[in-house]
Amino acid sequence: MTHLDFLSPDLAAPEAVWRSPLERPLAHAPAGIEDVSRTGVLDVRGDADGLDAGAAEIVRLSDDRALVLCDWERVAEVRARLGDRATLDVSAGWAGIRLPGETLLRRLTDLDLDALPAVGPVAHVQALVLRDEDGGFRVFFAQEYGDYLAEVVLDAAAGLEAP
Amino acid sequence: MRLPPQPGERIDRDAAIPFTFHGSRVTGFRGDTIASALFGEGQRVFSRSFKYHRARGLLCCSGTCPNCMMRVDGVPNVRTCVTPLHEGAKVEAQNFWGSLDHDLLTLTDKVGGPFTPVGFYYRTMIRPRRAWPLYERFLRSVAGLGKVEKHRGRTRRYDVERRRADVLVVGASEAGVESAREAAGREGRVVLVDNGLDPLPELEGVEAVRGTAIGVYEGGLVPVDAGTVLYRYRAGRVVVAAGGIEQPLLFPGNDLVGVVLPEAVRRLVGRWSLRPGVRAVVVSADQRGLETASLLERAGTEVAGVVDLRAARVREIAARGRGGRLASVELDGKKLDCDLLVMSGGRQPAYALLAHAGASVGYDPGRGIFVPAELPAGVEAVGAAAGEVDDAAVPAATYDGAVKKGKCFVCICEDVTDKDVKRAIAEGFDSIELAKRYTTVTMGPCQGKLCHLPSIRLYARENETDEASIGTTTARPPWQPVELGLLAGRPHEPAQRTSIHHRHKELGAKMMWTGTWRRPHSYGDPSGEAKNVHDALGVIDVSTLGKLVVRGPDAAAFLERLYPNRFGDMKPGRIRYGVLGSDAGRIMDDGTIARLAEEDYYVTTTSTGAGAVLEWFEWWNAVWGLDVRIANVTGALAAVNVAGPHARELMSRLADLDVSNEAFTYLDAKHAHVAGVPSLVLRIGFVGELGYEIHFPSPYGEHVWDSILDHGADLGARPFGLEPQRILRLEKMHILVGQDTDSESNVFEASMPWIAKMDKDDFVGKWSLERVQERGFREQLVGFEMANGVVPPEGGQIVVGGRPGGRVTSSRWSEHLGKAIGMGWVPPELAEDGAQIAIKVNGSVERAHVRLRPFFDPDGEHLRT
Repeated sequence: MTHLDFLSPDLAAPEAVWRSPLERPLAHAPAGIEDVSRTGVLDVRGDADGLDAGAAEIVRLSDDRALVLCDWERVAEVRARLGDRATLDVSAGWAGIRLPGETLLRRLTDLDLDALPAVGPVAHVQALVLRDEDGGFRVFFAQEYGDYLAEVVLDAAAGLEAP
Repeated sequence: MRLPPQPGERIDRDAAIPFTFHGSRVTGFRGDTIASALFGEGQRVFSRSFKYHRARGLLCCSGTCPNCMMRVDGVPNVRTCVTPLHEGAKVEAQNFWGSLDHDLLTLTDKVGGPFTPVGFYYRTMIRPRRAWPLYERFLRSVAGLGKVEKHRGRTRRYDVERRRADVLVVGASEAGVESAREAAGREGRVVLVDNGLDPLPELEGVEAVRGTAIGVYEGGLVPVDAGTVLYRYRAGRVVVAAGGIEQPLLFPGNDLVGVVLPEAVRRLVGRWSLRPGVRAVVVSADQRGLETASLLERAGTEVAGVVDLRAARVREIAARGRGGRLASVELDGKKLDCDLLVMSGGRQPAYALLAHAGASVGYDPGRGIFVPAELPAGVEAVGAAAGEVDDAAVPAATYDGAVKKGKCFVCICEDVTDKDVKRAIAEGFDSIELAKRYTTVTMGPCQGKLCHLPSIRLYARENETDEASIGTTTARPPWQPVELGLLAGRPHEPAQRTSIHHRHKELGAKMMWTGTWRRPHSYGDPSGEAKNVHDALGVIDVSTLGKLVVRGPDAAAFLERLYPNRFGDMKPGRIRYGVLGSDAGRIMDDGTIARLAEEDYYVTTTSTGAGAVLEWFEWWNAVWGLDVRIANVTGALAAVNVAGPHARELMSRLADLDVSNEAFTYLDAKHAHVAGVPSLVLRIGFVGELGYEIHFPSPYGEHVWDSILDHGADLGARPFGLEPQRILRLEKMHILVGQDTDSESNVFEASMPWIAKMDKDDFVGKWSLERVQERGFREQLVGFEMANGVVPPEGGQIVVGGRPGGRVTSSRWSEHLGKAIGMGWVPPELAEDGAQIAIKVNGSVERAHVRLRPFFDPDGEHLRT
């Protein structure tokens, strides 16, 4: 084992049970609200120009910091491609939730949804918000807020249903 | 009674809507507001006034004045004149003792005058002093407007929604609609907000929203009250088309039921086909008011007199009533019987929203109104709000005669008369801002819409100056009354939970807050859980620890400079305890630091300190410009501590690692798979027994937790919570930062001098610690043992020579030791092993002995073997 392997959830043995922080709170979520926590997230430091991460999604946080998002199955490959020195696997730290439409998100955040991706508070929790091509959104945030944020999202969705 | 069907009326006579007023069944029509339906049913008195409990009727009929405020379906202060009627509404009037028609508190109006001037509760009810509680109880019972059911809880749901607009037009007046139309299709998202009763205009490329803009804040933020949703608009450009506000005239009896503003007539007749009165007099300073005469005639109201203040010079107006309702009006001594008096003092541009945004306002002496002068960038005014109002005569400050004929109200919301204002001036409140706070004029529900201009006019006259010199008071949001629930929105209380949280709940844990984390206090048996750690094997979730990875060629140098102790000489795979100090040498946080590789360190912080430590690290990193990268992995990693004599056996079952004492010694950090999960295992012991802290990716929290309890079942593995942990760490005299230390504590006085390596070149806070060495200790943190087993309260007093000399920071009963133990700050001369101290417990003084070494296993044999 190398000395930072303990950060990489994909290196666990197959019998180890991976469990999403949103599994319980989103068990009865209405259609369109989905758990996307099983996403690879790599924190890359240093000059992010010309970052070659294959087909992964790159979100610039600053001039010298970026988050690279990728499919769970490809984390090891992307990690290897980015190199060890400036990369930290933070997949385990993020929970992700997919929201169907804009109104729901507008009830939770002050972020400008026309200028995504962006980082800012969603229901008081720092989050990374991405817009998908189909008009949906993905919101990534510290996994320890999973129960809280899921509850807030479901509550806001219920509010939109209410007459 | 309604008039025969009128052209343009807005009621649907085929759609009757039943509702109740004080329990009696009444009916209105679709298109009615609650007030118009009640008026149609013959109701003329709608409320009792704030202070004098005078009868009040419809005055503005446009949501401005407080007169129609009622309790609707349990909600107080609903402005019924602009609230559409709904079926089954339960409507009740408010602010009376007895009944709306016979309010016992009208006594304050009849005899209270001399006793109830502005601020009367500060002066007329202060003697005898002993009676104040009685006065206060009475005042509390009659103060305020409307009743809230204290224990009702939330009954309505309110949401907040953030929206964006390139152009936001406030008000669907002609000018507003025109502005929206012009912007449509050219300036992106165009939104038109209106709170009127008419259907929203349908304009191509314009989103029309029903709601009330309640303010304009920095950055084009315009909150719009849409009933149960607050839209927080961010607008690139705000166009205010809020119109003008009809102004009342000031004369004795100007609040009588039957004295109305022109818009009331316009709406009652034109919209709801109601006859406002039988016999009317019109006194108007503008055309708008005069035009009501023809409307009244159309409605069958006899118009007994029309006075155009632009042409006629009137000095005295006095309205007289019977039972609070208008009976006649005297115009310069000429008496006219009437039950309706339409008064109009011209229109004042509604500039408040502009003023919120920072617009300056100037007085136009020719027209007697305040108009917006300079507007800030991104804010515009159109129509009446911009000052485009009809020319009108400038009304007199008051129309009262030499002989006073009743109260003349400047402010009908708070029942402030011209006399009150004059008295305030006489008392020295010569600035309008001070007078506003003293008299409360402009501070009621109308927020100055009806009283600001008249009060300034009165001020100018009494101070023998002009309105421009008096100036305006600061306009602040909200511009319209808004429900507190709407401002509060949904309650959001972020809580952090570990990935093992649900297991704790399933195991019956009692949860508690530590910072914003939810943690198990215990699983029901704190002392048993602590005992199990000593006897067998305890498991505790410590995922809440702050976790930082510090990487880079300068990582060692960085930590050397930050911490008072040394980290550069550590070998990879070793751990050291660190206490983080501020530049003033005060203890900020503590934790363990493991060197993972030459250039990589793993730093843990206290559960509540992670954020502050991360900020501290990043700040110094920016200052020093070292080649270091800091990453917060607090949530990415779960952490579980297994402790107790059987901990090694458990680890040998779960980890692919040689866990013998020789291969894995105390303060070693090793990489291993624990239950198949890649982990960093730290051999440390906060709770005093042989222990391993396992750090691993948090999604496996439950898996690792379950594996420990399964594989450790025969070893007596049991979870323990924070409370037993506190007992155990106290037995070891391990400090809790923030509990045993405060913002003044330093490592020397906290009895950890070995932490500070004063021979290092420099570190944050070194200079300050040198000063502490120079000046000597003022107090010292020590352990103590109670002589008779009483547990003193945390925060309790340590008594020295009969005076307070120290304080208890931690105290517990240790079942394992059979003693009451604790830690506390004492004068340095008492910081000696065995020294006797006295501690106050429930009023009596108990004896204790100072202990400088851990109560349990002082040599740490349990940790090392």
